[in-house]
Amino acid sequence: MASKGVCEEKKDADNNEESDVVPDFEPGASLESMLVTTDSFEELEQEMDSSFDERQMKESTTSTISEIQEELNDTTVPEDSSSEQDDKIIENDEVEEIASQLSETSLTSNEDANAAATPVGSLPEEDYWQNPEWKERKKHVFILSAAGKPIYSRYGTEDKLVTIFGVMQALVSFVQTNQDTIRSIHTGNSKFVFLIKGPIILVSVSRTTESVSQLVLQLTYVYNQVVSVLTSSQLNRIYEQRRNYDLRRLLAGAERLIDHLLNFMEREPAFLLGAVKCLPLTPSVRDSITQTIVQTCGKIKNLVFAILLAKSQLITLVRMKKYFIHPADLHLIFNLVNSSESFKASESWTPICLPKFDSSGFLYGHVSYLSDDCQACLLLLTVDRDVFFTLSEAKQKIVEKLRRSNCLEAINESVNRPSYTASQVGVPEMRHFLYKCKSTAQFWSPALEPPYHTTEESQRLLGLYQALHHHLHAASRPLKLLHQQLDKETMLGWVTSGFELYVTFEPLITKHSAINAVNKLLRWIKKEEDRLFILNAPTF
Amino acid sequence: MADVQHQQVRRVVTRPSWNTQQPPHANGSPVVGTVRRDSTPTPLRPPLRPVEACDFTCKVMLLGDSGVGKTCLLVRFRDGLFLSGNFISTVGIDFRNKVVTVDQSKVKLQIWDTAGQERFRSVTHAYYRDAHALLLLYDVTNKTSFDNIRAWLGEIREYAQDDVVIMLLGNKADCGSERVVRKEDGERLAREYNVAFMETSAKTGLNVELTFMAVARELKFRKSGNPDESKFNVQDYVREQSQRGSCPPCNT
Repeated sequence: MASKGVCEEKKDADNNEESDVVPDFEPGASLESMLVTTDSFEELEQEMDSSFDERQMKESTTSTISEIQEELNDTTVPEDSSSEQDDKIIENDEVEEIASQLSETSLTSNEDANAAATPVGSLPEEDYWQNPEWKERKKHVFILSAAGKPIYSRYGTEDKLVTIFGVMQALVSFVQTNQDTIRSIHTGNSKFVFLIKGPIILVSVSRTTESVSQLVLQLTYVYNQVVSVLTSSQLNRIYEQRRNYDLRRLLAGAERLIDHLLNFMEREPAFLLGAVKCLPLTPSVRDSITQTIVQTCGKIKNLVFAILLAKSQLITLVRMKKYFIHPADLHLIFNLVNSSESFKASESWTPICLPKFDSSGFLYGHVSYLSDDCQACLLLLTVDRDVFFTLSEAKQKIVEKLRRSNCLEAINESVNRPSYTASQVGVPEMRHFLYKCKSTAQFWSPALEPPYHTTEESQRLLGLYQALHHHLHAASRPLKLLHQQLDKETMLGWVTSGFELYVTFEPLITKHSAINAVNKLLRWIKKEEDRLFILNAPTF
Repeated sequence: MADVQHQQVRRVVTRPSWNTQQPPHANGSPVVGTVRRDSTPTPLRPPLRPVEACDFTCKVMLLGDSGVGKTCLLVRFRDGLFLSGNFISTVGIDFRNKVVTVDQSKVKLQIWDTAGQERFRSVTHAYYRDAHALLLLYDVTNKTSFDNIRAWLGEIREYAQDDVVIMLLGNKADCGSERVVRKEDGERLAREYNVAFMETSAKTGLNVELTFMAVARELKFRKSGNPDESKFNVQDYVREQSQRGSCPPCNT
């Protein structure tokens, strides 16, 4: 680790200096937001404090999806009452289905094991986790059931790691017998972080510089990814019926999503910030895209969210009145789109559970790319499982309209244009920055330039931001401003009620010029805010 | 979509020729055609749900375990390509269209490609009842996928229409050395359940075109509604037309 030069907390005295220059300055701020703006970190703390039972209670009493369905039933004509019945029937079907799946497991488990075992090399079981390549991985992630059954391992095959899973389960239950919960184990430069979520246990074994709470946040995302595939109600029901169920059967094909998510989190600051990045567009183009979607889909009942994205950046998001989307849910959607090649070739219809929105049920998503010549992906999410064709038609109309108004071109142009670089801001000592606007849960960062253009260096940079973030948000002693002079760069972090800013400077910059540079940067962001951020929160 | 408009135009043009070619059962169809043309003042503007309104739209659904090659079979048929390299897993259901010609009439195949994984079953079940034909695939190099066919047929019986056309397909027939399911096994199972059977290869294209054409032909004849024509039997047709796979045909 680089040695820390100055690391100090700035309170009132220094603060005056900045507030002289920019009083109540909050670039990108907006009165309304389409995103839920609770900080994932604050939430995380709460979540870790409340016991699982409490959370369960909360979840079971408020099902957003059934709320939407009920609301619609209140206002609509009798034909819809049949759909309610339908739902009930389907629910029953699902229960039976799971029951039958459970009864089948004993028959097929043998074959499953065979199928899983075939692609792996012939390393004997005992040696497998001694394998140096496996041991050298920087971050392992494991999922197991409360009964100790392997569910997922980031590297290697679960079947060959049964002993390790056994040890992890033993550690968890040993601490549980004393009415306590294991959180983490620290040895040398490794951290073992545990997260117990109802019937499943998630473990991260990391030799990175990330803090325990950052690792817990990542495990929470992994758990949410599992819930997004199965729903929490299905997950809990399965284990209520059969404690030793092999969940890999239902997660088949979803390992890919978890793998991708873990890599995604190691590249993207979005997860750390709990915010979403937008595709830069001139406001008139963005408005016209939004209006097209609102006009086309406005009359479709049950449509909850319309989301248009490109290259993991949001183009627009239209929502049903009263309902918001959480950035964490949006990250899972980005992950789904990025890791599913099959969406590129055709229109898809797929169930998606958004854990923050409603972890107990599925939304149904019409997912498609706008056209062969415009690689933006449109998701239309509804609570109604039978409206594929309505949405398919709406999508065609949206594309036609966008083509006529030249919006497809504008999107392509922005996607293909190289992103702004830090040097374009006009502050020569500044190398890179992350800016998060708290009131909209959106962030922006410039393209990575040398020396951070290599994978290794960009990961190191993200590591520096993580450390900075950790110091600023430490639960025991949160800071407002932090100036760190390191070997290769100087880092500055600044948290106000309106924004969070993390800046990387040349190593030799003085504190005074760093503050001046930051002020200049904030003014630049303010000037560009209507291109870099979505400043309204459109509804259907 | 430009495609839809084209089909609308084509349909108006093709129907009369089809009618004159098939005098025995022309009585039913032209009425529908004329009524539609009279009632819609502008024939070029597609009706609200063109997909539903078309008499020659067939809904074909691909089923089978994960990884048996459903998407590959479809892509081979639709685009003439073989997706080699990475395994692309379908998420939920993918929808694609292709128009084929059967005896000079255009049949629009609306093909629903389903994800094989168990967790998507509840979504796919909802679409079984609308399907006119089901292509049930297994992988000749994967015994489990073949053994699961009985379970799939059970689901089909539960959720699909009684008169749905079912075709059992043993895919990856090109993989000679890795084969673990013999062609006779597939044939025997198909006979037991009274469904048509073929071995296919998305890689070489073996029987791929034939599969979809046989389905289109069967559905077209069924739709014509003439009892005389019901003699067309998809199983016989497939038997006559199918090419030899890597395994010699058996006469049992």
